[in-house]
Amino acid sequence: MPLPVLRIEKLCKSFGNTAVITDVSFDVIPSEVIVVIGSSGTGKSTMLQCINLLLRPTSGRIFLEEKEITAPGVNQDNVRRQMGMVFQEFNLFNHLTVLGNVTIGMVKVSGIPAKQAKEKALQELERVGMAEHCEKYPAQLSGGQKQRVGIARALGMDPKVMLFDEPTSALDPELTGEVLAVMQKLAAEGMTMIIVSHEMGFAREVADRVIFMENGTIEEQGIPDQIFSTPRSERTRKFLSVIRPGKSV
Amino acid sequence: MKEFLAYAKMALPDLLQGTVVTLELTAGALLIGLAIGLPLSLMRVYGGRLIQPLCTAYLTVFRGTPLLVQLFVVYYGLPEIGVAFSRMTAAFLTLGCNSGAYQCEYFRGAIQAVSTGQMQAARGIGMSRLQGIRHIILPQALRLVIPAWSNEFIAMVKYTAIVFLIAVPDLMSKAKILSSQNFAPIQTYVLVAMIYLVLVGALGLMLHVVQQKLAVPGLDFGMDKR
Ligand SMILES: Nc1ncnc2c1ncn2[C@@H]1O[C@H](COP(=O)(O)OP(=O)(O)O)[C@@H](O)[C@H]1O
Ligand SMILES: [Mg+2]
Repeated sequence: MPLPVLRIEKLCKSFGNTAVITDVSFDVIPSEVIVVIGSSGTGKSTMLQCINLLLRPTSGRIFLEEKEITAPGVNQDNVRRQMGMVFQEFNLFNHLTVLGNVTIGMVKVSGIPAKQAKEKALQELERVGMAEHCEKYPAQLSGGQKQRVGIARALGMDPKVMLFDEPTSALDPELTGEVLAVMQKLAAEGMTMIIVSHEMGFAREVADRVIFMENGTIEEQGIPDQIFSTPRSERTRKFLSVIRPGKSV
Repeated sequence: MKEFLAYAKMALPDLLQGTVVTLELTAGALLIGLAIGLPLSLMRVYGGRLIQPLCTAYLTVFRGTPLLVQLFVVYYGLPEIGVAFSRMTAAFLTLGCNSGAYQCEYFRGAIQAVSTGQMQAARGIGMSRLQGIRHIILPQALRLVIPAWSNEFIAMVKYTAIVFLIAVPDLMSKAKILSSQNFAPIQTYVLVAMIYLVLVGALGLMLHVVQQKLAVPGLDFGMDKR
């Protein structure tokens, strides 16, 4: 068993008195692709934001390559730099071109010289098929194109793991394919990824493991075939029947 | 008409001298206001519970009392407790501090108009909060603020006129002197109105050009839709 890239230990997160995440633990091994499913409001986004410390966990520990990032005194900005985050609403920097979106982190955070950053950014944009649009502004792109730039922006920071929060949920159905294709390619290249998504076809095809979350905790996890064909939990079954009406399990 | 032109020719040099002072006051007040308003707006949006009440107090005082009262307090009131300023300094300070309060609110509106996702994404690639403000939030907010800020600019040209009440030699003061020396209130004030109009028109045009130059597709308050 290889050492985990990421280890989440008894993660809990409350907002005031409301517990949103309760006792979530799992390991992520290198090149593993984990798809997280679960109904809305169950804490999936909160969990991702705790993992890259955008939110401070209430308790529990998180390790990135064996190093505890929840320990006091850790440089949280540096931790975030090492984890790519892709948002449902894209959140591209509106005042920057496609190229600027990808280079700004390299230049301002990693301190890479502008010229080198541009070269690297173009490579990342090539990876997601957006190099030819590098001079455009976000407002001039379709949703699918925006999300691919969002992925390139994260890739530019050479992340050890990529976190996706419903990357295709804000897209018109005909645009999800191009984004999923990029993610599939990343998976094939060996990128470690945690993906919150309800694209069941994608999960079945690309995921190494599916985690079903319910009420802020892991209700069930397993390989996609097992989760989708023979879910052990009644709640999983119920959720799947709602999300894939007609397909009985 | 001929009479008016002759009078204008006689009066213009003096009035233009006053115009220069008016422009100086406008520029100075806007710069002081910027130096106060921008940091204040950042404190108001990002500041903690200790800082925010201070900002609110500042805004309440300067937006809740007449500009003229503020001017008199600074010029006539403060010397009583041993803080005396020259006329010009009092004018700059009052107009600047007052403008700062209004600019703060314009900047705050623009900063809050930038979606929270922008800061999240900035933090997501490893930027600190400060870096996020500097590289992501402010460049957008400053573009969004231009229309409101242009209004403040143009309003300030006109607000400066009250300084004639403490005898700062601005356009309005010169006009008052000329008008009583020559018993020509109508000619003088029509001329003065025309000068203000030209100033406001020229500045409006200039700001519009700046806005166009800095324009980024999709980044505005729904104006200039392409
Ligand atoms: N900043 C916050 N303050 C208070 N409650 C929050 C906050 N963020 C999320 N929540 C609550 O936490 C719960 C889980 O939200 P979220 O993680 O977005 O769920 P999901 O992504 O699975 O839909 C929701 O009930 C939501 O209202
Ligand atoms: Mg969510």
